[in-house]
Amino acid sequence: MFLTRSEYDRGVNTFSPEGRLFQVEYAIEAIKLGSTAIGIQTSEGVVLAVEKRVTSPLIEAASIEKIMEVDKHIACAMSGLIADSKTLIDRARVEAQNHWFTYNEKMNIESVTQAVSNLALQFGDDDRDPGAMSRPFGVALLFAGVDEKGPRLFHMDPSGTFIQYDGKAIGSGSEGAQQALQEVYHKSMTLKEACRSALTILKQVMEEKLNSTNVEMCTVTPGSLFRMFTKDELENIIKDL
Amino acid sequence: MMSVPNMMSNPLSDYQAPNQVSFSPYEFNGGTILAVAGEDYALIATDTRLSQGFSIHSRDSPKTYPLSNGSVLGCCGFHGDVLTLTKVLGARLQIFEKEHNKPMPTPSVAAMLSTILYYRRFFPYYTHNIVAGLDEEGKGCVYSFDPVGSYEREVFRAKGSASAMLQPLLDNQIGGKNQQSYKVVPIPLKKCVSMVKDVFTSAAERDIYTGDNILISIITKDGVKSEQFPLRRD
Repeated sequence: MFLTRSEYDRGVNTFSPEGRLFQVEYAIEAIKLGSTAIGIQTSEGVVLAVEKRVTSPLIEAASIEKIMEVDKHIACAMSGLIADSKTLIDRARVEAQNHWFTYNEKMNIESVTQAVSNLALQFGDDDRDPGAMSRPFGVALLFAGVDEKGPRLFHMDPSGTFIQYDGKAIGSGSEGAQQALQEVYHKSMTLKEACRSALTILKQVMEEKLNSTNVEMCTVTPGSLFRMFTKDELENIIKDL
Repeated sequence: MMSVPNMMSNPLSDYQAPNQVSFSPYEFNGGTILAVAGEDYALIATDTRLSQGFSIHSRDSPKTYPLSNGSVLGCCGFHGDVLTLTKVLGARLQIFEKEHNKPMPTPSVAAMLSTILYYRRFFPYYTHNIVAGLDEEGKGCVYSFDPVGSYEREVFRAKGSASAMLQPLLDNQIGGKNQQSYKVVPIPLKKCVSMVKDVFTSAAERDIYTGDNILISIITKDGVKSEQFPLRRD
């Protein structure tokens, strides 16, 4: 009895004989269709920069939100099925507030990522858990923040795996962007340099011409915590890229 | 002619007295705790008597509980609730350490204990609590709680059966209350230890629920050190 790949990619919790979970792998593929997002961790803070796909001149670009605040000290950038990220971000926010409520301290970035990754794995095509998803989430997330260990950047994919990075790119342009990141990154990078590099790399990998309406950027620093760049601030950086 | 009881009209009095059932889930097992926050240490002391009414259950039952993060919890009142609360706290600390890869800071222990107590707002743990340890700057810290979770960081606090005797003494000797031109300075450890012994000895003279021994725990950056000191045993 030999079952082809197409018979093992139905159930979300059925391993193939080679030990693969196809639906999870397909979900990871879905990220590669998403817009590019870049995160860089420096000793001064973390920067997140994302591309916004403004596919029609009638789209209100400001309504596309791909960087979100989880808590005052944590930001999150996303790529893939953005609608799926709402559930994950909601969980991250609840966990962060719960932690503050119970322990009167800021939650660590790693702990928030861990909490969200627990949710990312709670999928199944049975109806046992009515709140759970029937399929894996189709988004990858970049969690950026500052905690007692300093500035931190974590990447989480639909399999729930999360890893800390100095620099990470996700989305359609991620391959090229990751390569560029590796070339440009060094340990003594300033936050200003990192912001510039992030936009430079986005400019290289984006299909449309980069401008202040089709990118979003934020920093998280020990001093001012989560801070979104205004249109003017973005223009200032973009004009001399 | 025989009177026939009227079954239809029961006297109202049958219904007027409510049926009272007694339910007393709490007991008072005595015990006194006292904590002082110093510049670079925290001290927490307890007597070791466990009693119920006029009988003594144990002469060796200190009411301080070292926690896995290096701070010490003082917990007295109803011993059954003390046992459960310390067990809950121990488990919560373990879970936190595994989940967040770090020991829980003392101020967070205090915040968490407050929520644990408040979640039992309408069937409280009958416990008086003090958390003593070091804060994130390495300074001594003492947090005192009421049984339903109201809490405050303080420099010194007595709780439990002889607290009303100890607290005014501390107010005067550490807080400088009712003294003219008294400059309040952090109390040195040696002076603190000898004062704690004195005030407990005095309390044991009057309070039958305080006695046998005091156990003094001193928390510094090097860990917890304990010493015992005898009290009246009658």
